[in-house]
Amino acid sequence: MPSFRTTVTPSRRAAARFVQDVRRAIQKALAEEEAKRGLTQSDIARAIGVHRSVINREIRGYKDLTLGRVAELAWAMGRMPEVDLPEKSAPHGSSVPLDPPPKDTMQDKPFEVRSSKGLVRGRRTRVG
Amino acid sequence: MATLLELAAHTLHRLDPVLDKGQREARTIYGSEGFRVWAEKTLPRLTSSWDIEVTPEEQFDALASIFCSGAVLTYKWQFSPIRHIADGIWELKTADLRIFGWFARKDCFIAVVADTTERVKRHRLYHGYAGAVARYRAALDLDEPKFIAGDDPNAVVSNYSYP
Repeated sequence: MPSFRTTVTPSRRAAARFVQDVRRAIQKALAEEEAKRGLTQSDIARAIGVHRSVINREIRGYKDLTLGRVAELAWAMGRMPEVDLPEKSAPHGSSVPLDPPPKDTMQDKPFEVRSSKGLVRGRRTRVG
Repeated sequence: MATLLELAAHTLHRLDPVLDKGQREARTIYGSEGFRVWAEKTLPRLTSSWDIEVTPEEQFDALASIFCSGAVLTYKWQFSPIRHIADGIWELKTADLRIFGWFARKDCFIAVVADTTERVKRHRLYHGYAGAVARYRAALDLDEPKFIAGDDPNAVVSNYSYP
């Protein structure tokens, strides 16, 4: 069966998926806080002093999120962001190509963002 | 008439989503020949109209990883990366991309055409692209039913929303 894939490099793949994971973690936390106590994007915007449209674009992916804004959003939702960089394990059985970066770089260290409540966090350990 | 698998062997192209270790492909994206050419030739050259860090190709790659891994697709409907257009035709969405196709069966999306969000919205191309998908689907020698009808996202993908 013919197949195709994108031309995204392993390092950029890791970056883009990490950005997506952080954004999805924020979306999940927002959905939970909305269900639990009716928290809205407007409430968050007021709490951190920006326009609601800015928060909306950041959460939906139409505007970059800074690390500081991630922390502000977590704070406004009553969450705790945590960052950890665990070593990745050997990719046996992985569909990811084996092209690790040089060992003397930090390129192959995956990111993981975790919350003390387990809600604002990276979802997976990346390979490449 | 052909089954989807038979068709995929000759007419369609399966996207390799490059999943992470331990993930298995729970949903599949196939592409028409036109979509494959677009993905390989045009997509890598696109830049973000929102001036964001993640390029359109990286956005597609990241969306494909979520879609194909079978992860929850959305936590609120406002953030959903899939949207029904009309007549069983759906779009996959990222900030900069709109990808039009249909679900031949649950968790199996066939992408036919794609363009940038900016162009689709500025030139109001939704109707035209939906028509292109409908014509491609109608001409395809595929067993009936060729697509999942209706606009319910839970009918076309597993694990659509949270909780």
